[in-house]
Amino acid sequence: MKFLQYTFLLASAGLLSLLPQAVTAQNLDPSAILHPAPDSWPTYHGDYSGRRHSHLTQITPQNVGNLTLAWAFQTDQNAAIKASPLLVDGILYFTVPDNIWAVDARSGHMLWHFNKPTDEGDHIGQRGVAMYKGWLYFLSPDGHLTSLNAKDGSVRWTVQVADVSKGYWTTMAPLVIRNHVIIGVSGDFDNLPGYLKSIDPETGETQWQWLSTPPAGTPNSTTGGMTWITGTYDPDLNLLYWGTGNPTPVLNGKTRPGDDLYTCSIVALNPDTGKLVWGFSVSPHDTHDWDAVEPPVLVDGDFHGKPHKMLMQASRNGYFFVLDRTNGKSLLTAPFGPVNWALGVDKDGHPIPNPEKEPAPDGRLIAPDEGGLTNFRSPSFDPKTGLFIVDAHPSWSIYFAKPADGNYGWAGADYGLWGKGVIEAIDYQTGKIRWTHDVGPGGSGAGVLTTDSGLTFTGDAHGNVLALDTRTGKTLWHAGAGAPMYSSPISYELDGRQYVITSSGGVLFAWALPEHLQESGKKAAGRR
Amino acid sequence: MKVTVGMIKKLCTVTLMAIAAWFFPMGSGAQTQTNHEEGAQAYAKHCSICHGDHREGNLPGFPPLLDISRQLNDQQMATLIHTGKGRMPAFPKMPQEELMALIRFLHSDDLSAGAAHGEEGGANVADAGRRLFQRNCAFCHGRDAAGGETGPDLTRSKLALADVNGDKIGEVVRNGRPDKKMPAFNFSSDEIRSIAAFIHAQQKKAAEHPGGRRGVDVADLQTGNAADGKAYFNGAGGCAKCHSPTGDLAGIASRFEGLQLEERMLYPRNTKTKVNVTLPSGEKISGVLAYRDEFTIGLRDSDGTYHSWPTSRVRFTVDSPVDAHVELFSKYTDKDIHDLMAYLQTLR
Repeated sequence: MKFLQYTFLLASAGLLSLLPQAVTAQNLDPSAILHPAPDSWPTYHGDYSGRRHSHLTQITPQNVGNLTLAWAFQTDQNAAIKASPLLVDGILYFTVPDNIWAVDARSGHMLWHFNKPTDEGDHIGQRGVAMYKGWLYFLSPDGHLTSLNAKDGSVRWTVQVADVSKGYWTTMAPLVIRNHVIIGVSGDFDNLPGYLKSIDPETGETQWQWLSTPPAGTPNSTTGGMTWITGTYDPDLNLLYWGTGNPTPVLNGKTRPGDDLYTCSIVALNPDTGKLVWGFSVSPHDTHDWDAVEPPVLVDGDFHGKPHKMLMQASRNGYFFVLDRTNGKSLLTAPFGPVNWALGVDKDGHPIPNPEKEPAPDGRLIAPDEGGLTNFRSPSFDPKTGLFIVDAHPSWSIYFAKPADGNYGWAGADYGLWGKGVIEAIDYQTGKIRWTHDVGPGGSGAGVLTTDSGLTFTGDAHGNVLALDTRTGKTLWHAGAGAPMYSSPISYELDGRQYVITSSGGVLFAWALPEHLQESGKKAAGRR
Repeated sequence: MKVTVGMIKKLCTVTLMAIAAWFFPMGSGAQTQTNHEEGAQAYAKHCSICHGDHREGNLPGFPPLLDISRQLNDQQMATLIHTGKGRMPAFPKMPQEELMALIRFLHSDDLSAGAAHGEEGGANVADAGRRLFQRNCAFCHGRDAAGGETGPDLTRSKLALADVNGDKIGEVVRNGRPDKKMPAFNFSSDEIRSIAAFIHAQQKKAAEHPGGRRGVDVADLQTGNAADGKAYFNGAGGCAKCHSPTGDLAGIASRFEGLQLEERMLYPRNTKTKVNVTLPSGEKISGVLAYRDEFTIGLRDSDGTYHSWPTSRVRFTVDSPVDAHVELFSKYTDKDIHDLMAYLQTLR
């Protein structure tokens, strides 16, 4: 019977990419991440491009007004969900610090719960697991990577990947490329170099390590460049793209003259060797904590009339960057909100920091604030409209630093004055903002998902989940979910039903059309 | 724990699970300690709210669990926890590992749920608080509580300085500060006391080094020129359109100083915004804005009564004079700010 379903599928749809995951339950062949099936969300960003764009079209601008709750899952935890769930073979895997849940994606009922409290490391967030074959990979606040059996959450091995006693901690969702599990680290309270590590998915052994900055103690040199958001990958170029965090000491740049490479940068590495191919400094000599870890989004398309392999980032420092991702050369640099810390942009597309806007004993007024014009939340690229849609945070703050603040760790103080949240649709060819949609005072922590049918899913500062028209930014549907979203929405289709998953506080929500309004039930029935 | 993996990788899943089962529940002394902490945390999370932080109970409703292992065997305890009884809720989804750790904890002599976070009592309270603080608070407030990403310096906070045993800090921690994006935390009273003890220890430490103290001192904010500030106030800044040095700002420098004054000057928080709503019937209601998103507008009228309407059904105008402060951000130079600060400090 299963064989017949396959033959039918292959013959009728030619969806070869479905083959690997459909054969065995709770199993993800790494090649399946290259072309994710509609019934999967196999990695943090959903695919290697970081576009967070779903090809599903059952939910449309016309019918989204009928969207309703399919199920909700209560974690009963104080910690907010910041993870993007993985979906593999009908099961969602998601996390908060020290916890993983495996939940039936159809019903929201729990299959297992891994709960192992750790006493050390910052418990600021956990962004999700990665999967390789039948194994999950999970980072705990104390700098350990654990491999678990996806069937029951039992532990296979645990290895230390970061030394919590030095000041590192780990929060990010690893990225699987073939037989590499790529992990990044957090830790800017201490003067430590950031790094990426590639771990063998079977043994837990380190395959390579790439350091963002020279080892601590190197004279006249920076530390920092943490790697705490999952990167992206181009299989044709075999390049891994990653954003790096701020330099340390954070607000005092005196001990680290120059551009402080490769902090606040986008880097391209060979995922098999960890060797740097190119790097692009997004904030040369940062003194405002503006990590450039935001997802490097990979887009193939025209730029000013010529086809390009592009990389786009809306960065925390307030600038939107378009690079040629084959060589790291700039195509466009443009602010996407109020920024007052740069003297302009140099000929290679790097903002030029204004020395007068470095933190000072009597304070400097700075836009954006330290949380940045955007941050950890994911943007989305919509190919039809060419819009790069980001949850922005226009904001102002004052920055201080004086000799008594020293040159270790934070080394200064900053205070946010005012900010608000705005969903912005950026035209990637010009950097111009096509539309904006206010999402409330203070700002929203919600990421963005776009779909082929022309919908943009996100959330506001009050806890409303929003569906907007991608062309205009107008609200088409909303639901009050009780707490703001601190994750990025995902979407998948199971049994012919499209689901959109959002989180609010410690609750995961699955939204879908009422069953009587679904049209394509029969078409997809054979997929499972 | 690093299980050596070279030998394992060729084994089949069943064997792996057997090995995992062998490693985890019955390991060394260190493992027993971990189990104890897990049990204590499970107790703190699920049980202490009714049965007390120290298993002392709260009679008549909630029995003490001090000698519970003399009344029930492990199986009976497990069944009771899984199925509940009377007003006691059931915990059917509690994972086996957590359940076993909890039962072991109920057998132990350590009566403190707070033991999950370090030692209790005396000089060690601040140490326990330090660990909680590092996990939950340090990201925003800095590891030494003297400020960090987003969060204020707690060693200079008036509220934290006035706190006694967590009475004021606890209120903020439990309720959060939604307007400043500080989340609420469900800590037990013991945990709050330990966090407060840690913050007070840090305040003491900071006060011992007044000269080299990090953070923003009143003395740091004296670089401006008061005459230029006055000219800006009455001229380019447009401040005089809403404010008066003899009216609302009279004596402002006696009420606020330093960073607090500067923050209020640049953007006063919690100002009241007026809203006037016209209902479909033509009736008008005015009050103080209490809630506003895309879909709902809410106000409190002069009686303090809350009203709300869908934004699509009413017409409304919002009068928010504080927005003038936002418009100034892109116009100020840093000198304007320092001069204004100097001028405001003359208004005593």
